[in-house]
Amino acid sequence: MDKAQFRELISNKLLILDGATGTELQKKGMPTGVCPEKWVFENPHVIKSIQKEYIKEGSNILYTCTFGGNRIKLDEFGLGDRTVELNRSLASFSREAAGNKCLVAGDLASTGRFIKPLGDMSFEECVNIYKEQVKGLLEGGVDIFVIETMLDIQEARAALLAVKESCDLPICVSMSFDENMRTLTGTDPVTALITLQSLGADVVGCNCSTGPGQMVQIISMMKPYARVPLMAKPNAGLPKLVNGTTIFDMEPEEFGEYTKDFLKAGVNLLGGCCGTSPDYIRQIYMKSSGMKPEATVFKPYSAITSIRKTVAFGFSRPVAIVGERINPTGKKQLQAELREGATHEIRRFAAEQVEKGADILDVNVGMPGIDEKEAMLSTVSLLSSITDAPLCLDSSSPEVLEAALRIYPGRALINSISQEKVKLERLLPVAAKYGAMFILLPLSDEGVPEKAEQREAIVKNIFDKAAEYGYQKSDVVVDGLVMTVSANQEAAVETLNLIAWCAKEFGCGTIVGLSNVSFGLPERSWVNAAFLAMAVGSGLTMAIANPSSDLLMNIKMACDVITKNDINSRNYISFFNNRQKPSAVEAQAKAEAKKIGERIFDAVLEGDNEIIGALISKALDENIGARDIVDNHLIPAINQVGKLFDEKKYFLPQLIQSAEAMKKGFIYVEPLLKQNGSVQEKEIIILIATVKGDIHDIGKNIVALMLKNYGFKVYDLGKDVSAETIINKAKSLKAHIIGLSALMTTTMVEMKDVIKLAREQNLSCKFMIGGAVVDADYAREIGADGYSRDAYEAVKLAKRLSKD
Amino acid sequence: MDAIIKQMELTFLAENFYSKIKYFENIPAVPKRNLILTRLGYRNGVTELNENDRVLLEDSIRQGEYLCKPVGAYLIVPVLSISESCIILENGIRFDSNGLLKLLNNSRSVVLMAATVGKEVVDRISYEVSQGKAAAGLIIDSVASQTADAALDWMVQLLRKILVREGKILTKHRYSPGYGDLPLSYQEEIFKALQLDRLKMSLTEKFMLIPEKSVIAISGVEEKGEAV
Repeated sequence: MDKAQFRELISNKLLILDGATGTELQKKGMPTGVCPEKWVFENPHVIKSIQKEYIKEGSNILYTCTFGGNRIKLDEFGLGDRTVELNRSLASFSREAAGNKCLVAGDLASTGRFIKPLGDMSFEECVNIYKEQVKGLLEGGVDIFVIETMLDIQEARAALLAVKESCDLPICVSMSFDENMRTLTGTDPVTALITLQSLGADVVGCNCSTGPGQMVQIISMMKPYARVPLMAKPNAGLPKLVNGTTIFDMEPEEFGEYTKDFLKAGVNLLGGCCGTSPDYIRQIYMKSSGMKPEATVFKPYSAITSIRKTVAFGFSRPVAIVGERINPTGKKQLQAELREGATHEIRRFAAEQVEKGADILDVNVGMPGIDEKEAMLSTVSLLSSITDAPLCLDSSSPEVLEAALRIYPGRALINSISQEKVKLERLLPVAAKYGAMFILLPLSDEGVPEKAEQREAIVKNIFDKAAEYGYQKSDVVVDGLVMTVSANQEAAVETLNLIAWCAKEFGCGTIVGLSNVSFGLPERSWVNAAFLAMAVGSGLTMAIANPSSDLLMNIKMACDVITKNDINSRNYISFFNNRQKPSAVEAQAKAEAKKIGERIFDAVLEGDNEIIGALISKALDENIGARDIVDNHLIPAINQVGKLFDEKKYFLPQLIQSAEAMKKGFIYVEPLLKQNGSVQEKEIIILIATVKGDIHDIGKNIVALMLKNYGFKVYDLGKDVSAETIINKAKSLKAHIIGLSALMTTTMVEMKDVIKLAREQNLSCKFMIGGAVVDADYAREIGADGYSRDAYEAVKLAKRLSKD
Repeated sequence: MDAIIKQMELTFLAENFYSKIKYFENIPAVPKRNLILTRLGYRNGVTELNENDRVLLEDSIRQGEYLCKPVGAYLIVPVLSISESCIILENGIRFDSNGLLKLLNNSRSVVLMAATVGKEVVDRISYEVSQGKAAAGLIIDSVASQTADAALDWMVQLLRKILVREGKILTKHRYSPGYGDLPLSYQEEIFKALQLDRLKMSLTEKFMLIPEKSVIAISGVEEKGEAV
């Protein structure tokens, strides 16, 4: 059966699928724990009798009993090498049962492993796993394929491509959504539908996990976006566990009652999943008698997807912002990271742009000295897992774009396809194969036409070619091709004319990269902003921009209100809510009005180590003595910080910041104190270390820092330090206190050895300990002089021990 | 001789189980903000932050989030036998721990799992502290710890969704070597069972995981769920 015949068949009537197979096999003697594929292979009469029963009750399509028939699943029973043979045989059994009364669907389901970017299986490995199964099913004579109970959109894509690349038979893809209407890996029904129908599924839908009630809702959600027929195969209600056995307690009649709702919601193929039997299929048959599926009225829309999100844009919607920052041009840090394979900047740009309002992220990693394809693949993989924003794949290389489209787990936007021969011939079929939207760049091998009319001709020409591959105008966005006005003042007007033509005559969306227009002019942001506003007025639907530009984003938000595309100004109000910050000038003026002593106190209190040096210099200029500064401002301030920390009004980072400001302040006054002979306290030496075998040292480092900031002379020996090293160093430094840290039960015992060694060598210094697994009792038990639970306690303890 | 045979059996079992280990190379782990703050001593409604504190906190949390690369693995292993004093798994691991036994009392299989946020974030924490930016280092440290936990939480949620389809549930809590009476040394057996070297993790002589922000945990799979 070819795709056209299948479409014709579906358009005339509701096609009834079969019901559950596994439970029916068990009823007829299949033991639990066996490989169902092998058992059916050895008992073909059983599956044939079940399937004949389904045909008798009204099924139009039978699924082959190959749910676990991929190599990975069969390997669990040591049968991986028989994949083709088993699938061929099982398909032929169904073929025999079906005769010419029924279609046979080759059944593919999950491998149970996870594909990159989430898991460790490569996309290509997964495609090949499915291709092997497809080969067997084709040899067995299936009419169509069904990819069912899929929990992960990327695995569904792999299976779909495997079938597409093996034959031209119709393909149905059915995802499994939980009670939150998401797949296991977080895909919602609309996103799944758009991704799969774009990639070439002939039918999309859902099965398993939920009963018919919730599944009707899923079909209703999908319907407005569906360009293909929809399918549903619900369970017989929600599963319940009774005495360790899963049961489904919805009776066939109640199940059948939902048939009308399914037809109304827009389903074209309906059957049953777990807990159903031929009785349930008979109910669907009876209840659908004389009824036809709702006719599909497809309203065009433009949308791309990620794993977990759909972004729709176009006329009557707010202008979509494509974040432009993931592009190494002019960004040295990003260039360096791309060379090294590091990802910090990409992560930062992705998160910041989304936070600032980007709907889509443009990804361009082209630069000399790297393998662009590899860089693009790893960046797409990374971004697909760390952000929900769909991607705009941006490269001048068709090879790079093809590789990226293959692994991108959603529907992407390609940037871009022009009339250049190499682009058009190579990229258009690739874009179509993967169902991507594309930015149509109206330039040719002859260059960029100056006039809007010339660009319009190219737009028409490229679109006509794209239409041959099934593209509609809503799948294409025309680039307005912004040229710089400082070189040619007609340039912006021509772009605006092209945008207006696309919006009013041709009927497709447009996009511009804003910054080009102002190149060579001073204060470029004003020109960019004015151009954006005028372009939106001409009908612009998308902009490639840096969403960190407040001016551009503010103008965009305002434009959306004025064009009525931001309904009830909801986005505008939410965007500007909570953006009012206290005036920095006001705050500074307030601070400057205070006396200098108060300002020093405040600087320590607020942990401002940038200003404290200047303030102390100013105080000294005003003839305030160094001792006065210490005794009346710095010490009271740090004491106040300690009090606030004790009261939990300050948390640890604030305590550290204040201690650092204090230390920096001391650097300014200490020479003067020495000069005046007013350094009064003796220097207390503290040796600190994380004990042998322990590699954790952040806690110890913070304690060391705090002790230093409070005026102790601290020697930090680092981590994983032996007892001998600690004791020898303590002797040579004449340490007053030894601080020991351990974070694990296996290393805390080392503390005891250090103290024991010190006592053996008659070392008189004090011991203080700390770390996640120790406490005051343990300190006493091993003979330490004290325990502190945090850095501030450690300071207090050290002060106490140094006085003892 | 017995020891050699036992070792061979364990090797065989380990190989057999290898194909069932699920590895995740990009876990979308989102650390819980309240836990990041709590770990730093923040008390809701009590701790007061000024604008600079807020900026430092937000910037450092973001830095931490960019630097964490959560990966993980899990393996479901059937329970071979369970007695009053120990539990033995089909892959040969034997746990002698009353605390763990209490958790796994009704479990027919056990989930061994691990997650790490990678080396880059750990290096950055040390760097920030060494550069006199200890407050930032500390906040990033808290983000890294919570992200490693969030990665385990993510795998647990995924497992719950998978198991519910089979009419099974996961124990409400999880247990880790180093808790209660389960010695840290068990990290070695779990490390081997999950082949964590594949995730660029390693183990010290004292059974500590490297990179530092890594976690290992154990949960039970029960078959006594209510309606799901």
